[in-house]
Amino acid sequence: MTPAFLLHQTICGAIAAAGFGVLFNIGFRSLPWCAASGAIALAVRTGCLDGLHWNLEAASFAAALTVGAAVQVLRARTNISQNALDVVGCIPMVPGSFAAKAILGMFALTSASTTDASGTLITAVQYALRVTFTIGAIGTGLAIPTLLLRVRVSR
Amino acid sequence: MDPIESLIPDDSGAAPALEPLAMVALDAGRMLMEAGASANGVDEIVAKFARGLGAERVDLRIGYASLAVTIGIGANGITRMREVGHLGVNQRLDQELWHLAARVSRRELTVEQTRAELTRLAQKTPRHSAWMMAVAVGLACAAFGRLLKVDWPGTGPVFFAACAGQLIRRELLTRHVNVFICATLVSFLSSLLGGLCAHWAQSGTITTAMIASILLLVPGVPSVNAQNDILEGHPTLGSARAVTVAVILIFVAAGLWLGQVLLSQLGIQT
Repeated sequence: MTPAFLLHQTICGAIAAAGFGVLFNIGFRSLPWCAASGAIALAVRTGCLDGLHWNLEAASFAAALTVGAAVQVLRARTNISQNALDVVGCIPMVPGSFAAKAILGMFALTSASTTDASGTLITAVQYALRVTFTIGAIGTGLAIPTLLLRVRVSR
Repeated sequence: MDPIESLIPDDSGAAPALEPLAMVALDAGRMLMEAGASANGVDEIVAKFARGLGAERVDLRIGYASLAVTIGIGANGITRMREVGHLGVNQRLDQELWHLAARVSRRELTVEQTRAELTRLAQKTPRHSAWMMAVAVGLACAAFGRLLKVDWPGTGPVFFAACAGQLIRRELLTRHVNVFICATLVSFLSSLLGGLCAHWAQSGTITTAMIASILLLVPGVPSVNAQNDILEGHPTLGSARAVTVAVILIFVAAGLWLGQVLLSQLGIQT
């Protein structure tokens, strides 16, 4: 992993998070926080994937845990809902392309011209499992700091 | 949780205005839920509004399409239900609702003033312009594309296709087209546009460019909310959200598949 590649991934993560921040109607003054959140997520994930050679699920979990903890620590300063900030930061890690490939693989199985049905099925299931585990890892990583640190209102 | 004895108080004969109080608290919860909050946030804000307006007991049930609350003051109690509309994401409204909740919980507002404030927030909370959103989404999808290893010639087409997709999606949603049909239409048009432009730009990653062009449709907030809701003790709502996410992904993939079929009919290998 070269520093240039890490920088590229970090910048792309920041742009993606800020772009989705606009889509979610986050105010201009809070967009730098969104970009920072996405940058942290992608930097940690890239470091774990290419530096420590972890798998995607473990790297996504570590990145989500870091973002969740950072958002909890900075909660008072950001003037933005904690839920929005950590979700926006982790959106660049949501494996949308794997999900699309998994469902397209399922579609391909029903085609009359399928030549290697078992290979197609295994690939599709592998993608589906990676989607499930990665989203699970992101959700769990975000939830742990929230559940540990949040002050609940008394009802 | 209140002890059961406190839920069966003596009837004092007084009749506080529970109906408007319950409806205002429910409206606050409904607006927050429609703005993309998780169940815990809705639970907290309804409790803040209700207690700030004078309720002594608050119990809320959160469903995917409705909220029901039981409010009690002294010997009197009332249960009301409110329908919840389309679950979108609007963080500025979310933020404004929490500011209002803080004021209400400090008992600065009456029920009528709170209702007027909620109406004002629903009508006046600003949104980014359609073009601003389209450019932002285009940039986000182009960045996604680079993360998915789309080459540089394919990045411009991803930006252009995602911009167009966002403009079309906004237009369809303002015309109240079904969310799932909208996802398929936008997915088809964006992937087709992304694939065609990437082919003309001589990109070597046409398939990935097509996928990156539709990533604006991936329901990231609902998928994270689904898991949060289950972890925080709302498995029914979390499951409903998860099913919705799965169905949206199927409709998005169907649009992408149609785009790929059309491109192959045009002789473009994806």
